[in-house]
This record gives sequence, C-alpha cells and structure tokens, in this order.
Amino acid sequence: MEQYLNTGIKELISKFPAAGDVLNRFNIGCVPCNVGTCLLKDIVNIHDLTAEQEQELFWSLGKIFTPGKPVILPEIKRKEKPAGNSPSFSPPVKMLMDEHVLIKRLIALIPEMVTRLDIGKEADKKDVLDSVDFIRNYADRFHHAKEEDILFKYFDENMDILKVMHEDHTSGRNHVKKALEALDAGDGKTVTDHLSAYALLLSGHIKKEDEVLYPWMERNLTTREIGEMYGKFGNVDREFAGSQEKYEALINALEKKYN
Amino acid sequence: MECPGSRTVLFEEKENANEATGSIKSELRQWPIQLHLISPAAPYYQGADVVLTADCVAYALGGYHQNYLKGKSVAIACPKLDEDQEVYIEKIRSWFDDAKINTLTVMIMQVPCCGGLLRLAQEAMKKSERKVPVKSIVVGLQGEILNEQWI
Repeated sequence: MEQYLNTGIKELISKFPAAGDVLNRFNIGCVPCNVGTCLLKDIVNIHDLTAEQEQELFWSLGKIFTPGKPVILPEIKRKEKPAGNSPSFSPPVKMLMDEHVLIKRLIALIPEMVTRLDIGKEADKKDVLDSVDFIRNYADRFHHAKEEDILFKYFDENMDILKVMHEDHTSGRNHVKKALEALDAGDGKTVTDHLSAYALLLSGHIKKEDEVLYPWMERNLTTREIGEMYGKFGNVDREFAGSQEKYEALINALEKKYN
Repeated sequence: MECPGSRTVLFEEKENANEATGSIKSELRQWPIQLHLISPAAPYYQGADVVLTADCVAYALGGYHQNYLKGKSVAIACPKLDEDQEVYIEKIRSWFDDAKINTLTVMIMQVPCCGGLLRLAQEAMKKSERKVPVKSIVVGLQGEILNEQWI
C-alpha cells in the first residue's frame, strides 16, 4: 500500500479505474480533475476523514490495488484537531468564501446568457463585456489575488493541491481571454464555448476550495497567521474600495435580466 | 436553584494523572496581567495575539500555558466579581484601535456568568474602528474544550 500512497492520483485512477468509484464514495472528487498530480497520501490527509473512514478507504483501495492479498493499512499523520466542536471559519477565510458567493451568482447566469447571446446585438455584447469585467477585476484581480499573493504564501507552494489551484486560475484566465477575442471577432459560438468552460471550471474550483482546501488550510494556520492575513486582506479591500458594491449591483442587474 | 457558577462540585481524581518529569516552564512573558492593572499601551500588547482569560480558566485547563498562553500576551478578569467593567470595555477597545493587536482570543468557563467576559469583548468590538479576528473558547469545569469558534 505504501507505494500507492506516493503515487499521483490520476495515474492510480487510470491504472485502477475502480479506485475512482471508491474515492467518489468518500466524496473525494479527484476523478474529473484535469491535473491529478496530487499524491494519494496528500489527498487523504487534506480531506479530513475520520480514522474509521480513512481505514475503510484504504481497505477498499487496497483490495483494488492488490487483489487477493492481505491489505496492510497505512497510518497517515494528521494535525490534531481541537477537542469539542469544529471551529467556525476564521474571518479572513470567511471573507474568501463570501466572495465565492458573488462569483457563483455570475457563474449561475452564464448558461442562460450564452443561450440568449446574439452576437449582433449591442446589449448582449455589453452583458458579456460586463461579465468579463467582473471575472477579471472581481474574481481574478480582487479575489484570486488574495489567494495567490496572500493565503497560498502561508503554505508550501510546491504542494500539488496548490499547483492545481494555480492551474485552474490560469485556465480560467485563458478562457476569458479567448472569449473576449471571439467577441471582438464576432464569433458567438466560441464566446459561448469559452464562457461555458469557464463556468464549469470555476464552479468545480470553488467547490474544491470551500469544501476541501479552505477547511484544511484553516486547520493548519496559526492564530498569528490568521490575524496577519486578515490585516493583509483589509489592505486589498481598501485598494479595491467600492468594488464589492459595484459588482454586487452588476450581478443584481444581470440576475433581473437572465433569471 | 443554585447558581451553576458557585455550586459545589467534587471531581474524582483521574487515574491517568500527568506524571511530571521536571518543572514545567511558565509561558507568561509580562506583568501585570489583571485587566484593571494592565495598560493597553504596554509594549507587550502592540501588534500582539492577546488572550483575555477568565480568572478560573488557567486552573481548570491543564495545558493552558503550553497550548493557549505560549506566544501570546494576556489579561485576566472575572465578569462576575470584578467592578467597574466599563473600564474593561474601553481597555479592550484600545487594544483593537491603539495597540493594533493582531487577534483576540477570549477564554471563558462554561458557567453562565462567564459569558459576560465575551459580551464585554463584543461590546468593545462594536465601539472600535479597527476590526480584528476574535475567537471564543469555552472550557468545561474539568478542563475540556467545549466550544471553540471565531465570532
């Protein structure tokens, strides 16, 4: 089992497709990941399973990896959790999750926006341009900058999970760039394809962050780091003063039109 | 009905009592510590992670020094017995606005009267211009952590 712990998850799933079903059963959503370089041991660690769940997962995987042989259950070292209830999210992590809510509201509008998109209509083009402005200035410069320039810096950026997050951000930027180029060229289908791909990518990305990455980071940040991070996020908010209100107003207007 | 904060309770001696292998070093790095006696302008509060601890907590919680006081600045108070608690609100506000503390952790006992210390901190938060992450930790009578959350 030890050798599989240090193997990339994509490699394991392609070699043992049934392992994907086992991971799904434990709500570990690695199957659709387009990178999949994370090691099995890191994935198990980050998902905060109970000791019983962890043993059951390894047992199920062991039977797939080495059928007919006894499964030797490995032990994954985890940071001890505080006794009592789970702590709530700290203010800086909560800020990021609140920003996700606004981003998800735009993502939810994209299918209807691209369905109705008539590339010859100025009003439709303006909605796409406004959405791109939101993605670039709110979701990327304002929100992703807090993650990339501040939050991720508290962790080893060579970790595969962070590489995957960076890659998602880069892929998102490429989709937006290509959607904008297609809009300029009057190519409605390509605009639709790239905005739809962006929406799919970001909804999965946000789910990973809200449900797996942030809770894991929260467990590993010290009180000192949480206070520092909150102060740095405050500086970003001051730098982008008015952004929250401006983009909330935009999303409200788009929701009125497309919902 | 007797007040849970002053009801007499005797705990059984625990079988797995800690075996001391040497003297345990104090993590206290300042004086004074009582909230009426401290000055929020003291150098040890500047930019610090502060733990505002109800008087009884450090007696109930075996690992208080190692797990909660280490690396932090402290003040202690009793929201049930201490007088002039308006002064406390102003001092906590001054931690936020003037000493520019990094975080505040409020540690209280599970007894109802202890919640007053958290309310003082929340009142100070409302009055302060600068916002800081504040965490509350509730400790049981036998030193167990009952609740830990950011507020």
